[in-house]
Amino acid sequence: MFAAAPNVVSTDAMLVSAVRSGDDQAMAQLYERYSPIVYSVALRVLGDTAAAEDILQEVFLQLWRNPDVFDASRGSLPGWLAVIARNRAIDSLRKRRPETNVSDVIVSIEPDLASGAEWSRALEKIRSALASMSSPQRSALEMAFFEGLTHAEIATKTGEPLGTIKTRIRAGLGALRKVFNP
Amino acid sequence: MSVHEQFADDLSLYALGALRGDERHAVQKHLEECSACRQELEKLQGDLALLAFSASGPRPPARSRERLMAAVAKEPRKPQLVRRARWAWWNVLGWAAALAAIAVAVLLSQQNSELRHRLAELETSSTNHDQQLREARQLLATLTSPDAVHFTLIAGKTPPQPQGKAIYVRSSGTLVFLASNMPAIPPQKSYELWLIPTSGAPIPAGLFKPDARGAAAVIQPPLPPGVEAKAFAITIEPEAGSSAPTSQPIMMGTGS
Repeated sequence: MFAAAPNVVSTDAMLVSAVRSGDDQAMAQLYERYSPIVYSVALRVLGDTAAAEDILQEVFLQLWRNPDVFDASRGSLPGWLAVIARNRAIDSLRKRRPETNVSDVIVSIEPDLASGAEWSRALEKIRSALASMSSPQRSALEMAFFEGLTHAEIATKTGEPLGTIKTRIRAGLGALRKVFNP
Repeated sequence: MSVHEQFADDLSLYALGALRGDERHAVQKHLEECSACRQELEKLQGDLALLAFSASGPRPPARSRERLMAAVAKEPRKPQLVRRARWAWWNVLGWAAALAAIAVAVLLSQQNSELRHRLAELETSSTNHDQQLREARQLLATLTSPDAVHFTLIAGKTPPQPQGKAIYVRSSGTLVFLASNMPAIPPQKSYELWLIPTSGAPIPAGLFKPDARGAAAVIQPPLPPGVEAKAFAITIEPEAGSSAPTSQPIMMGTGS
């Protein structure tokens, strides 16, 4: 019922509700909305298009099979999909079984990214915040997130003290948060 | 955010999945006990999502969509009635959230066909949306109002029993009614819901026909404000409805 309204912009929560009712067209709409971000994150982590497509399939099929893993009342769907895609891609990279229970991941984000214009502006701000970080800080953050390296592994790789790496990661995430909460 | 300082670094690392063994266990244990740190973890996941968004750009090939939809088609699912059953009658807030979502969807869905013909009149549509948003908010207020009186209407002997639930706020004359397991009704007939006042004649409170699963809803029918309800009742009426009941109630319930 919810998703069969082509001229009405359904909210993510409405589409997830419809998916819960078995509405495959709602699933198609969610895919249209968020497959690029899920694919992009997986591709960035894995560097391989076929492997990224597998993660894309896995993440959306999981939402179809069990939409209750995402709690629409408590978090952002694009944020959740992006974080789940990253976690699954890292698991795949490290050839390990999924470590986190996806329903335990709640992603709290300020901006409403549903519309294209908002999305472009948000993306610009995020990239600008990353660009304004020092190179070692950005690098520590990206190694931890996109390469799935632990702080100890980053310390070994860069030859810097463990405490420094921890601080850089924490401060880097703090800087990103300030993008939308100045 | 008053996050425990000793966990501040570790929470970031935990969100990244970088902790192992005892360190991970210690954070998990603390999270079970500390709501401030759980909230901070949710925000950290949000920070990580922003970092993830920075990678956006590449688009998946068209075959990915086909692959997903083929997999979805192979796994059709019936509506998850289990979830519905979890709605406790007494959990008004749970109801409110679910019903507000349904109501917004119903309202938007009803407006859809109209919108198709009126794409050029976006300004008017926007006004309508505002009106519907107000209605949805009013609905939410009805459901969550401490003044709301709940009426449960029960009939029949064989399971699954038809059941109706009316939530009514006298001062504003607002009503939400939901029914389940209602028997199918002939095309030329409708169920009609009645507000039975403490004095005076029954007041029509909406027509409804159950869907294939026997579920039905009447949301915010036009009712005069301030009428004290003794009960709500359902009769079977001609499809266009009646201004006064023409048959005996098949279901009735008093307030609680």
